Amino acid sequence: MDRTTDTTDDALRAILRDVLGLDEARAAAIRPDTPLFGAMPELDSMAVAGLLTEIEDRLHILVEDDEVDGELLESFGSLARFVRMKKAA
Amino acid sequence: MSGSAPRVHWCDHGRDEPIPILQWGEGTGRQLLVLQPLFEEMNRCRALVAELCRGLAENGLACWLPDLPGTGESRRAIETVGWDDWRSAVEIAARFSGATTSIAIRGGTLLDGGLARRWRFAPATGGSLLNDLRRSALVGGGDPAAFAGYPLAPAFAARLAEQSPADLPHTRTLRLASDDLPGDRHIDAAPLWRRPEPQSDPILASLLAADIREWIAS
Repeated sequence: MDRTTDTTDDALRAILRDVLGLDEARAAAIRPDTPLFGAMPELDSMAVAGLLTEIEDRLHILVEDDEVDGELLESFGSLARFVRMKKAA
Repeated sequence: MSGSAPRVHWCDHGRDEPIPILQWGEGTGRQLLVLQPLFEEMNRCRALVAELCRGLAENGLACWLPDLPGTGESRRAIETVGWDDWRSAVEIAARFSGATTSIAIRGGTLLDGGLARRWRFAPATGGSLLNDLRRSALVGGGDPAAFAGYPLAPAFAARLAEQSPADLPHTRTLRLASDDLPGDRHIDAAPLWRRPEPQSDPILASLLAADIREWIAS
């Protein structure tokens, strides 16, 4: 695992913790295969919008409307892959 | 904590529906105009803002909190409001309260350019706020042009999209530690304006109040 993977994952864990109000232990336990939308009760559709805006603001990327679909938030790993791809672009 | 309730004013300025303004503290010492976050962020931060105003008033700093036209207790419908209505409401509230210093949070910082001195927390751009509203509607399965329960007039949305906090002297800016833009101070706290369930944070409220008191005393 390279350094970019580490920092992106850590930043995303911190964003999920802050936006969803998770405690430190729950945030630290998030792994790439942790399911998000539909599995995490705090992550309802209202929270999704705030989560994506916070990701944009903190990680300086822009998420287009047509990129927001079920797959994006299927798991922590799918979200992290998307963000890394955006940052590399 | 005295837990004193704010006084409610209806500032009648003759041109439009009166502007509802809450007042914490007495009108003898320093008067502060409080510009709260906009749209859904206002509801999410309402408890934090009230706690901050109470804390400042207990230390002799009176706080005046207007509800902008089309928001909160205002009788105007949001779809009839233009950006200039918000700007003039801020001017009217400043005159009514005698405040020359503003305390602005998030989108409130887009409206504080007319005050002599301003203190800002976590400033937001109009573009980012609009993006969030549009996306809330989209994720909720609605029409993104309807801005998630805020049917803004197209001209209003267009003006809002262009707004950034004005770059002015006599400004102190606090940001969250997670925000890497420059500021006078970065503090470690969570962005309450993102939480779907409104929450307060008494530690954050007292930290902000202490920072404001020191800044005003300096």
